[in-house]
Formats: sequence, structure tokens, C-alpha cells
Amino acid sequence: MMGGLVEVAAAFVGTLGFGFLFNIRGKKLLLAALGGMMSWLLFLLLGFVIEQEAVRYFIVAIMSTVYAEVFARVVKTPATTFCMVSLIPLVPGSALYYSMAYALGGSFEEFAGKALYTLELTAALSMGIVLATACVRYIFAFIAKRKGRN
Amino acid sequence: MTERLLNCVMEIAKRMIEVGAEIHRVEDSVGRICKAYGAKHADIYATISNIVVSVETAEGVVLTQSRRIKKSGTDIESLDRLNSLVRRMTERCPDAEEVREELEKIKKTPNYPAWVGIAFYGVIAGAFCVFFGGRTFAEIIIALFIGVLVGIVAKLNERFKVNKLLGRFLCSFTACCLGFMFVKMRVILTADNVIIGNIMSLIPGVGLTNSLRDLFTGDSVTGALRSIEAILLALAIASGYILTVYLFGGAV
Repeated sequence: MMGGLVEVAAAFVGTLGFGFLFNIRGKKLLLAALGGMMSWLLFLLLGFVIEQEAVRYFIVAIMSTVYAEVFARVVKTPATTFCMVSLIPLVPGSALYYSMAYALGGSFEEFAGKALYTLELTAALSMGIVLATACVRYIFAFIAKRKGRN
Repeated sequence: MTERLLNCVMEIAKRMIEVGAEIHRVEDSVGRICKAYGAKHADIYATISNIVVSVETAEGVVLTQSRRIKKSGTDIESLDRLNSLVRRMTERCPDAEEVREELEKIKKTPNYPAWVGIAFYGVIAGAFCVFFGGRTFAEIIIALFIGVLVGIVAKLNERFKVNKLLGRFLCSFTACCLGFMFVKMRVILTADNVIIGNIMSLIPGVGLTNSLRDLFTGDSVTGALRSIEAILLALAIASGYILTVYLFGGAV
């Protein structure tokens, strides 16, 4: 429990750091960091109901894309602003490190397993983004059309 | 639509790709601008390294221009401003002079000063060291310290225009070497979390995700280019680690 809270706080600080590196400014910076924090919080909470990490990655990707698209319209900025950073806590950095360590240690089965697993997570992540982006854009286009008619 | 205006539009598109816009968005923006200025027909093809636009104007003249793109990076503030320029152009069609002036202004978009960037390399490393399980005070402080040094190496690479792969290798080598050194000096028990924290600011995670997204949405050329770049960058980072292990005669 405590560990989870520490992770969420660290995710916030880490995402904020990336916001600075990517030259995000003003309240967009705060919103982007909050997005990163929430995607990790959601990932941890989903852990209580869903066991497979890839499925959780997929769902988190969908939710944070929706977050990005909605707030992009609220503060009038491209959705990329939030998309780029809010999924950073999900980037499999440790998986990459351990794959390297396994490869050097000569345990090739473990290396291949870890590397494939990394790819699986990344695929889940990007499929979630694509699906959610398409759906959200259709919905917003639909709303805009309805408004135009009234 | 005139040759001069198309010239400006090409510059906008080029700049958008350079600061990290999605290819899909760039093609879409150029298409909408051409339509707003009364073009009968516009064909746009963009990848991360070049862009070609062919427009048939309202008078029936066909204009074609292309640009080669060599820079790549992420600068959200510039992207944001380019985006509002595009929106203004589609709404009220300013003339080429005005667009040119706006573009010059956007090129001078402020960025955070170098020391802020360097400091945040440290903050990122510290935060992700904690995130991936480094809970001792020594680990966090060392991750922060190494992060700052990696940030300095990254800025030096930018300054001297070092090849992207070599630059990433140098950053990774710095992080791994220092991490191993602190273990040898018995300041920390294991270098794992410290190195992972530092690797987070180096790995092409965003690049890999974007490349797969491009592949799924049909921008296959861009997707392929981006994924190859991401794999090469990951290999460069791994090489830094491998060299360190050999120098220290085995993992510590």
C-alpha cells in the first residue's frame, strides 16, 4: 500500500521532469504530470481485478488517451502534449535493463522472454492509444456536427 | 495559393515534424490550409525525413515543393504555437508576408535554460530510481547526482552535434560506469535501480510507442523508420552497459 503511494508520487515527479525536457509550459505542464500520475495509479488499482499486465497496459492506454484528447480541447493544445508524457511511467525501462543483464549473463532464454514481454507491453500500449484516439475523434466530430445543426 | 505561400506552408510542415508532431497531423494540417486558400486539389506525402506537397491552385496552376528534414526532437511549446498558426490560417487566410512574420516569431520560441534541463535529468533519474524500487537514501542521492552528469553529457552532445547513436551510447556509458563505481566504493549495495532510473531519460520508449502507433494507423514508412531508430537507440544504450561490464570485469 505504502509502496504504491510512493510509486505514484515518484511517477508524478518523473513525468514532471519529462515535461520540462519536452518544453511544456504553464498549466499544461501540471496537467501532463497529473496524467502521468493517474495512469500509474490506474495501473496499480487495476491490479486488484486483472492479473495480466498487458491487459492493464491496454486499458490504461485507453484511459490516458481519453484524458489527453479531452484536456487538449479544454486548454486548446495538440493532444500530443499529454500523450507524449502521460504514458512515460509505463515505459518498460527496467525490462530493457534486465534484458541487457540477462543477455550479458548468457541466459538467453530469460533474455528472449524478457525482450518479447517488453514488445508485448508496448504493442498493448500502442493499440490502446490507436483505438481510443479513433473513437474519441469520431465522438467529438459527431458532437461538433450536432452543435452545428442546432 | 501562390508559390510564396506554399513556401511558408512547407516551412510550417517542416518545423512541425522537427518538433515532434504526428505525421498524420502534419499531412492533415497542410491539406486543410491548401483547401482554405482555395486549392482545387492537394497531394501531401510526409515522413519523418521528407515532405512533398503538390497543389493545383484555383487558377489551375500546379505547384510542387519538397523539403528534407534532418532534425528531430520534442518541443511541445513550438508545436503548440505552430498549431495555432495553422488554425488561424484555415480560419482567416492571412497573406504570405504575415505568415512569414509569424513563423519567424515561432522560431524564437523560448525553451527552458540549459541548467534547468540538466537539473531535471537528475530529478527524472532520482524519481524513477524510487519508482523502480530504490528506497534507500544513498541510492536516490546517487541516482540524482549521476542524472545531473548524464544531463551535462547530453547537453555537450547537443552542443557539439554528436551523432545521435554515439551520444546515447556516451550517456549510457557515463550512467553505468558511475553506478558501478559507487558499488565498488561500497556506497550502495546494487547499481540496478540507480542505472534503471538513469536509463529512463535515455530509452526511446516514446519513440517505440509512436512507431507502433504509426504502423497501426497506416503511416507504415514512418512507423518502420521510427521503429528502426528506436531499436538502434536501445542497442546504443545496451552497448554502454556492455562496455562497462567488460571494463569492470563482470557485473557488480
